[in-house]
Amino acid sequence: MIILILLIATALAFDFTNGFHDTGNAMATSIATRALKPKTAVLLAGVLNLVGAFLSVEVALTVTTSVLKIQDSKSGTLLPNIDASTGLTIIFAGLIGGILWNLLTWLFGIPSSSSHALFGGLIGAGMAAIGLAGVNWSGVTQKVLIPAIAAPVIAGLVAACGTWLVYRITQKVMPKRREEGFRWGQIATASLVALSHGTNDAQKTMGVIALALITTGHLTGNVAEDGLPFWIIASCALAIGLGTYLGGWRVIRTLGKGLVEIESPQGLAAEASSAAIILSSSAAGMALSTTHVATGSILGSGVGKPGASVRWAVAGRMALAWLITLPAAGLVGALAFWISHFVAGMTTQLVGDGLIFLILVGLSGFMWWRAQQQKVDHNNVNADWDDSTNSVVPADLRESAEPKTAAV
Amino acid sequence: MVYLESIFKVLLVGLVLGAGLPALFAVGLVAFSNGAGVTDADGTTHSTNPVLKFLGLALFVLVGLVILTALLWITRSTIEHHFGINLFPFA
Repeated sequence: MIILILLIATALAFDFTNGFHDTGNAMATSIATRALKPKTAVLLAGVLNLVGAFLSVEVALTVTTSVLKIQDSKSGTLLPNIDASTGLTIIFAGLIGGILWNLLTWLFGIPSSSSHALFGGLIGAGMAAIGLAGVNWSGVTQKVLIPAIAAPVIAGLVAACGTWLVYRITQKVMPKRREEGFRWGQIATASLVALSHGTNDAQKTMGVIALALITTGHLTGNVAEDGLPFWIIASCALAIGLGTYLGGWRVIRTLGKGLVEIESPQGLAAEASSAAIILSSSAAGMALSTTHVATGSILGSGVGKPGASVRWAVAGRMALAWLITLPAAGLVGALAFWISHFVAGMTTQLVGDGLIFLILVGLSGFMWWRAQQQKVDHNNVNADWDDSTNSVVPADLRESAEPKTAAV
Repeated sequence: MVYLESIFKVLLVGLVLGAGLPALFAVGLVAFSNGAGVTDADGTTHSTNPVLKFLGLALFVLVGLVILTALLWITRSTIEHHFGINLFPFA
């Protein structure tokens, strides 16, 4: 029981980092073009994520069955070869992998996919526990890998077309009026993205908590019929909303300032493309990473605007992070499982799971502290991008901090 | 390849809604802006045109309505589950 509570707390913590990591997907462009004040933007995104989480539960149902094979796909009950405590430790270790990877990428200001971090962690822990057979490989390929490659390309293409059209059409409009008009459009489209993020990503944590409750027998496997308990939906909505409100300023800065210098027509086109793709793909049954879509869109808006330039070095670093997100989070998840399993073998499961929980708290605290040393927040989120280092930390801040700590 | 097909679908919908709607919005902005009177770079002013202005506003409203419909479409099953209202009886 204590382990279950610990696990739910960890799941909510993951949800929190998810919101926090992904604020930028919706709001980076609005903040960069100053359509919204940074604080207003994160508040708006937080509230809309909260609302979005209540809108649909479709995604929550598919998340767990399509990644791990610990549930019978028809009845939803636990497979006979897994006992409840192993199941719990797998999920627990997977969450830890997801959180740690999310925090690490945030520290470097890289907008990596929170969904991939979660899936990677679960896959790694599952493989460590049950071997290759524990993972639903066809589900992973279809629902995680293929969309991962397709999403940024589609998003980039759509955003490039949109940007080109928008600039073409409004060529003769007075610049001031154009800027103003598009700011309003931008706020609307950014809100849509925040809403769709809530419908998508909050669901993933709901799915994980539901799976844990199914594992321990607190919830019947047939979630599709009976719906999710209200407290799960509400707590996940709250966690992702709060995380979003806190704002991952580092990621926002990379997306809004690092990739391309964004004007509001580009921002509008990018967000419209993101919103359309996230929403239509969930209707078509494709589980996408909102981060991949948003980044692809912003890149596309840079390609589509005549005369704009894209910082391909930053984009390349991001693409690299995307490639290693799944295996890296998987490795952390597997490690966490092994540590817990090893310690539990000598003592009890509570000690094993407690230990990896403490490790999680310790490492998270350390990364938080590192970030505080060279703080990026709403005050300097729009500072000029330093082309020589492409570091997410603004140049003046880094220089003043240099004597004390090494550059991040 | 079922997957290629759904990717293609998403691309198509993405192009229509994700690039088409911004374009429509842009057309609305051009109409509204011209209707509200333009000052050229050399200082000559054009008079306001209420018809164009209205057309621009109408386009903005149209874009908004399309978005609203799309949102309702996506939440339709949740709405039906909780309130028992089927918003798209003919779909």
